[in-house]
Parts: sequence; structure tokens; C-alpha cells
Amino acid sequence: MGAWFDANLVSILNGAAIGCLLFILAIGLSLVFGMMDVLNLAHGAIFLVGAYLGWHIGGQDPTWTTFLLALAAALGAGLLAGAGMSLLTEPLRNRSHLDQALLTLGVALVVAELLSMAFGNDVQAVNAPPGLDSTVRVFGSVYPTYRLVLIGVGVVFAAGLWILVSRTMIGAVIRATVADRDMVSTIGIDNRKVKLAVFAVGSALAAIAGVLGGPIYGARPGLDSTVLILALVVVVIGGLGSVRGALVGALIIGQIESLGRALLADAASFLLFGALAVVLVLRPRGLFAGATR
Amino acid sequence: MSGMVITRRRLFGMVGVGGAAAALSACGSSLGEDEPAGSGGGQGAVKVGLVIPQAGVYAPLGVDMKNGWDLWLERHGGKFGNYTVTTVVADEGESPQTGVPAAQRLLQSDDCDVLVGIVNSATALGVRDLVTESKKVLLVANAGANDITGKASSPYIWRTSFTNGQVAAAMGRYLGEEGTTGGVFEIASDYAAGAEAVAGFRTAFEAGGGAIAGSAKPPFGKTQDYQPFLSQIRSSGAAATFCFFAGAEAVAFVKQYRQFGLAETTPLYGSGFLTEGGVLAAQGAAAVGIRTALHYTSELDNQHNKDFVTAYQEKYDVVPTVYSVQTWDAANVLDRALRSATATDGDTLSKALEGVGAIDDSPRGEWSFDGQTPKQKFYIREVEKKGDGYVNAVLAETDAVGQDG
Repeated sequence: MGAWFDANLVSILNGAAIGCLLFILAIGLSLVFGMMDVLNLAHGAIFLVGAYLGWHIGGQDPTWTTFLLALAAALGAGLLAGAGMSLLTEPLRNRSHLDQALLTLGVALVVAELLSMAFGNDVQAVNAPPGLDSTVRVFGSVYPTYRLVLIGVGVVFAAGLWILVSRTMIGAVIRATVADRDMVSTIGIDNRKVKLAVFAVGSALAAIAGVLGGPIYGARPGLDSTVLILALVVVVIGGLGSVRGALVGALIIGQIESLGRALLADAASFLLFGALAVVLVLRPRGLFAGATR
Repeated sequence: MSGMVITRRRLFGMVGVGGAAAALSACGSSLGEDEPAGSGGGQGAVKVGLVIPQAGVYAPLGVDMKNGWDLWLERHGGKFGNYTVTTVVADEGESPQTGVPAAQRLLQSDDCDVLVGIVNSATALGVRDLVTESKKVLLVANAGANDITGKASSPYIWRTSFTNGQVAAAMGRYLGEEGTTGGVFEIASDYAAGAEAVAGFRTAFEAGGGAIAGSAKPPFGKTQDYQPFLSQIRSSGAAATFCFFAGAEAVAFVKQYRQFGLAETTPLYGSGFLTEGGVLAAQGAAAVGIRTALHYTSELDNQHNKDFVTAYQEKYDVVPTVYSVQTWDAANVLDRALRSATATDGDTLSKALEGVGAIDDSPRGEWSFDGQTPKQKFYIREVEKKGDGYVNAVLAETDAVGQDG
């Protein structure tokens, strides 16, 4: 056991880092889908907007100033994009998921094309800000400092969101809206505003994840659909509309993508969707769907 | 837009031939020594369909290819032999689903005489029957599947680029000759090109006495994070790594190879696409020290390349890539063929291509057709910092080899 742990420690650590990034990405998708029943396929495009903002503002070698500036810009752009998406999907709220999927997929394609026009089709890489672009030795294995820090950032985000959702008045409204939207309107809360706010914050988190993910994924055409699929798998595995579900789902996917691929290298292509299939068979509504409903 | 370019090119052709020829003989082009007029070729017009990716993940390659093509025509009066060239561009996209219809349109609605381009091997194989049945020449200017000029060859399909096996074998031979001890780990994207590269490398490397320490095949297009594979390389105890990656995967792999500390302990070798063009700029410092094999680098020290690089940089303000050279050479061989050919149909042109002999003024160095694909030298290149950017400096060169390396 000890030897196995030593050999795979880097993979486990890396799974946690990727999981934390996926959590920040997927939580918005989960809340919007779970609360307002809106399937937002433009979520990946918003991540890519953040990734390109990070690269555009900080270049290949960002300083702390440009990195923080990029995070602020992503926050602003994400809030606006989320609010826009909320207004755009408002007329479709009583229509089927297919209509929403078509609309948001259309938006995703337009955004991807605009990004390609604005930033070109070249693959762009981004380094970690100074001080984090080195490696550390963890129990004798070499590991990039930035990814280690990312785990801490993910923990802070998760804790913050958990407190917000489970310990505050705002959180109570959000949870109530997830549980029963109509009941929330009958007590005088305009759930369109709740939707707008959650959509805006969720999209801002996706854009921030784009900046934070820059030193790992870079920025390139096609990245939007790659991360969208990962986020959808996280949401389906974790269950809709719960912070805990998104966190556990993200950490599981992180480990599958990292430790799973290391242990079962030959099955690497099938692991992600294999896990998805297993969860769908055993818990069709996701691991934590019941928790908030 | 392309209409405008053509008009400009025609104008250049009409008024500029004299001046261009003078300028060219000054820079050492063969055009000066060997006047096209009166060498037995026909005259008239030739319509070329350029099938290159203009959208999607391969779009940067399409830009380089178009640049190489346009530059050749601009510097040679817009003519192949005594034929005035018209170029029609079609978007190959990412896959045969877009590439094959694009080629079909060029042949059937645009009535092109010749097709040039094609990045994706599946697309090149997909248009084989179309091209063969229409009896039109296709000059493949990138796609590297061995079969294009091997098992699935057609009398009308020629190639000015490389085969996947040929490039990797050059690296395998080099490492074999270097006497690399301790075993080499092979890693390549899990698709046809990766498999051909690994097979080519392994055959040549083992023939040279090398040993393979392990291998891995990360899923193609579905791997963003290479950490699990990097851990595998580390625990295999290999003394070096050979890899085949291109595009976004090349950037991610090279950066992570450095981030996880492998670059310091286990030297990285690969097929040259790993560090060619735009991806090298994105990899930046992470790529320094990587050694790759390829049939071109902008650093080549020959007069034809120096003239080419200077002209290219003047016009486009970037350094040319192997992709630019492959279309430049496609134009070059078409010019040579049409100096003797009396018609532009596929049979006549194929016959003329058979007789072009050595291409002695290519930026990549002298090469010739062996079968219908280049027999060419390979360069062992090492990434170095030069000024503000990074380049592939030449370490060694191999003898000229054909299809199978």
C-alpha cells in the first residue's frame, strides 16, 4: 500500500488539482440547470472567453498585476455574459430542453467564431504567474507549484460557496428555488431575478476558471467544447443544483482523468464515459441529486 | 477577396515578368539559368485549386501553406512555365466531411486542372477515387499517411511533403547511431499518424541497436493533461523519450513535460512537428533543448533558404515553416512540369512530373521524387533561443531517404 501510494501520489494530487478547476467551472452550470432548468451549452464558450482574456491581458508570461487584472476582467465579462444568457433564455423558460440547447449551442458557436476572429486560430499557452511557475518536491516527486496552489484556491471557492448556499439568506432563496420554484414566487420573490443573479455568478465563475485554467489548458479554438463536455459529465455525476454534488462530481472526474488514466492506461479513452455510464445506471439522477430536493 | 489577389497577380504577370526574372537571377533562382520560354512546354492558362484548412484546428497550417504558395507565384510572375496561373482556394476544414466536398467542388464546379494542398491524411485518402476518376493531378502538400503514396497510391497523386514513418525513422536512426543507452520511452497520440510515427521510429531505432523502455498512447483529441503518462515515463526509468504530437497537443505535452520536471532528467526527442511554427512560439522556453527530425527548418544554411526566409519575412513578417515550404515546392514542381508539358490534363502532367528530376533550388535542400513522394534529407534540430524567439537550430543532417525512411 505504501509503495503504491508513493508511486501514484502525483496522480492523486493532480486529480485533486484538476478536480478543483472543474468544480469552479461546473458549479455555475449545475446551479443554473438545477434551479432554473436551463441547459446552458454556452458555458464552455464563457470559460474560453476567460482563457483568452487571461492570455490577452497577461500574455505568455503574466505578472501578478496582469494575472489579477485578468481575473477581474473575467469576473466582469462573466457577469455580463451570464446576465445576457439569462435574458436570452427567458422567453424559452417554459419550452423544452431541446429549444434551450439549440439557442445556447448557437450562442456558443457564435462566441467561438468571434474569439477565433479576435484572437486567431493559433494555440496559445500561458505560464503561471511569478513564484508559482516552478516545481516543488512532494514526497520525493516533482510537482508544479501552480497546480498545488490551485487545490487551495478550489478549497476556498468550495468553502465560500458552501457557506453562501447553506448558511445565508441568499443561499436559502437559492435552495428554495431549486426545490420549488413556484412556491418561491408565491412568497413574493421574483425568481427571474434569482435566475439572473445565479446565471451571472455561475458564468463569472466559468470565466474565472478560464483564467485559472490558463497555465494548464492554455487558450485555443475547440477548448470550449472540450471543457463543456467535462462540465456536463461533472454535473450529471454529481447531481443537479447542489454545491456538494458539483464538488464531489468534479473531484471524481479529476481522479478518473488523472489516477484512472495512470492505472488503466489502455482504457484511458473509455474511463470518463464509463464512469458516467455506471453512475447513470446506479443513480440516474446523480450521486447527490436528492440532497437538496 | 481571392478574386482581388488574382487580379493583382495577373497584373504582376503582365507588367512584371522582366523585372521579376532579373530580381530572381540575382537571388540565385534556377529560373534565371533555365528560361521557361522555348523549352518545349505549352502555353495558356492553368487553374489550380488550393485545398487548405481555413477554419478549425488546422487553420494555422492553412495560413502558412497559402503564404508559401502566394509567395512563389509572386516571385515568379504568376506563371508555371508559359501557363498563367489562376488559384481558387477552398476550405478543407478539419476532416474528410468538409475536405472531400471542398475538393469535389474545385474539380467539378470550378473546373480546376490541378489540386494542391490537403493537411489531413484521411481527407487525402478520401479524395483518392475522386481525383483518380477525374484524371486530375493532386499534389499533396502536407498529409503524411504512408498509404497515400503507398498502398492507396494513384497515378495522379503526388506528394511534396513527407511520410510519417520517414520523419520518425530519421530520428530513430540518429538515436541508434548516437548509441543512446538505457532505453527510450515511446509516446504518441492514439491515431493513425501517431502509430505510423512510432512504428517508423521503432524499426529504425532497434535496427541501430536501441532498446524500447515502454510505450503509451494518450487518446487523440481527448487528452488535455499528460500527467498520468508523464508519471508512467518517469517510473519506466527510460533514459530518453520519443514522441509524436502536433498542434495543441504538442504545446500541452511539451509544457507539461517541463512542468513535471522530466525535461531536466529525460531528454525529449520527436518528429519535427512537435516544435514547428506556431506551436514553438506557444511552448516558448519550455521547448529549449528538445531535439526533433524534420525535412526543413528556417535555420538551414543554404542560399535558396536564406533568400526564401528573407522574402517570406519581408512579406508576412513571420518566419516560414515546413508547411510554407511544402506548398512553395508544390508550386516549384508544377512550374518544372509545365515547362515541358504541352497540356494540363492529369496524364500529361503526371508524365511531366515523372521527369522533373532533382529539385535543386528548394529551401529544404535538394530533393527528388522517389515513386511519387519526396526522397529527401532530414535534419536533426535542437530548439534554441534566438533573439526574442525560439528556433530549431541544425545539429546534423541525414542522407536522402525515400518513402519508408
